[in-house]
Amino acid sequence: MKILLVEDHAELARSIAGYLGQEHYICEVAGTFDEAREKLALFSYDVVLLDIMLPDGNGINLLKLLRKEGVESSVIIISAQNALDFKLTGLSEGADDYITKPFPLPELHARIKAIMRRRSTHKNNVLTFQDITADLESMECRVKGKLLNLTRKETNLLLYFINNKGRMLTRQAIAAHLWGDYTDNLDSVDFVYQHVKNLRKKITDAGGKDYISTVYGFGYKLSAPNQ
Amino acid sequence: MKLNYRYTLAYAVLTFFVLSIGFAIVYAALSRSVTRATIGKLEHLNEVVASQLRSGRDYAGDSSRTNVLVVPLAAPDTARRTRTVRVRDEWDAALQARVAMVRLTTYPVAGGRAYRVTSRAAVVEPSDVYLTGLVLVFAWTFVFLLALVVILSELISWRILRPFNATLRGIQQFEPSQPSAISLAPSHTAEFNELNEFLVKMTARAQSDYRGLKEFSENASHELQTPIASIKAKLELLIDSDLTEAQLRTLTTMHDELERLAKINQALTLLAKLEHFEPGPNALADLSQLVPATEATFADLAEMKDLTTTLAIAPGVRVPLDASLAQLLLNNLFSNAIRHNLPGGQLRVQLSATELLLENTGHAPSAPVGELFGRFKKGNAQLDSIGIGLAIVKRISELYGHRISYDYADGWHRLRVAFAPAIL
Repeated sequence: MKILLVEDHAELARSIAGYLGQEHYICEVAGTFDEAREKLALFSYDVVLLDIMLPDGNGINLLKLLRKEGVESSVIIISAQNALDFKLTGLSEGADDYITKPFPLPELHARIKAIMRRRSTHKNNVLTFQDITADLESMECRVKGKLLNLTRKETNLLLYFINNKGRMLTRQAIAAHLWGDYTDNLDSVDFVYQHVKNLRKKITDAGGKDYISTVYGFGYKLSAPNQ
Repeated sequence: MKLNYRYTLAYAVLTFFVLSIGFAIVYAALSRSVTRATIGKLEHLNEVVASQLRSGRDYAGDSSRTNVLVVPLAAPDTARRTRTVRVRDEWDAALQARVAMVRLTTYPVAGGRAYRVTSRAAVVEPSDVYLTGLVLVFAWTFVFLLALVVILSELISWRILRPFNATLRGIQQFEPSQPSAISLAPSHTAEFNELNEFLVKMTARAQSDYRGLKEFSENASHELQTPIASIKAKLELLIDSDLTEAQLRTLTTMHDELERLAKINQALTLLAKLEHFEPGPNALADLSQLVPATEATFADLAEMKDLTTTLAIAPGVRVPLDASLAQLLLNNLFSNAIRHNLPGGQLRVQLSATELLLENTGHAPSAPVGELFGRFKKGNAQLDSIGIGLAIVKRISELYGHRISYDYADGWHRLRVAFAPAIL
């Protein structure tokens, strides 16, 4: 899977590219509008991660250009604009998704996965981790074939864990994923604890292993026991 | 009070005083000249009597002597005696009234004898007859002058102040956020042209300041968010590597602080955005649908705190509010009501056609309730919030003219959003 990251902040671009590389994506970086246009003309990418403010142009114009030329890549806008800008002005028109800076890297990863899943023609809509399966169509999760009775938030949480398996997920990242970033609700991290606790209990009650480990004071990690 | 009314009023007071003084002068002059005329007549009469005495004939029964008293004097010491005039109110038998009586006394010498000749005549004082007439004349003059001034001031001020009024309207319609410069028509009056020049300069500066501020807040958002995003990404990558527990702890603290910084920056740029946001004219939010939907989103949070939620939603409540701003407002209200609630407490939500009322149980606020709408004001210092939610709620309400109020009584926090009357 090939990703083009259009971001003028070199260090941020390096971090994102490094992270996506660890997740087995091929990630190329373009630091300017012209460089991005050139790369898009020469190669094809599955996903374009597009910053709006570029030193030599506006990312939105690049997006319009892409759509005019019939480029099929999915586009996720990465911007320092406020989320409200997108909602009020339709800034993200033509893009598949947008994410506002600063964002947790696992959140970006989850968004890319969601988009790729929507695009994929073969309907492999089941996520698997060890003996846990999650059907993305019916939103049903099973442990060893046994149906889990999960709330919507818990399902969401489990999918987020599976998409970012083996990675440390901060409480804030989980909170932002579950509730969005609209409230100044920093203590929603306490609720994250509750949700994770409930999810772990439901999985172990259904006979599954407790794959979720707590990293004290920081967050959680879904990993196979031998890891 | 309008400018020309003030002018008219000042002129009326001035005219009144001038006319009053004029009236007093005319009255005094009239009164004096009437007396002088009478004295003149009496002087003539005394001359006639003196020549009668000099002729030596007896005029005692003559009609000229009716009001004249002739007294022969013992010694002709004329050098001492000059004529005297006396004016005095006294009863007049002929007129059957008290009148001002003028007496003129002269001392003529006839045939070697000195006489004292005193003649008298009644003076018709202006106070008796003329006063009413005078007052009427002055009153009418005053009324006519005033009427003329009122009419003229309207006409003149309409003509002279026309450019000034146009300028006033221009300023009233001016918004620093408007894209074009203010346009003021030139006038023939030097002062108005000066004023216009000054206003054009000031408004241009206000506009450029406004644009500068807007650009700054937008740039600040971008310029701060990107480095924060970069640091955050680096920290996340670092945390995922092999670390000792002490290192992990330090990184976690750094990450939490950064998260807090990012939240504050986001909230501030959001507020800056809202400051400059111009609400569209036709935005309507269906609160009857949005309020229960938001409640459902927060249901799990409420459940974890064991809160009892009661909803009373009137159907079809649509108020002027952009849908995403309405969502933002409701999110902040609900999250506040849940966060500041007590474990096992209550949350009551009432939506009617005129207002939205959120009531929740909770500790008494430590700061005066009015201050909680300010930025970084927290009712409870223990909670790990940044205290900007209510400022956002307030700003959104103000944008659309809704009034928000907050009070605390008997363990209940009440947040009320009174909707602005719909413009039909």
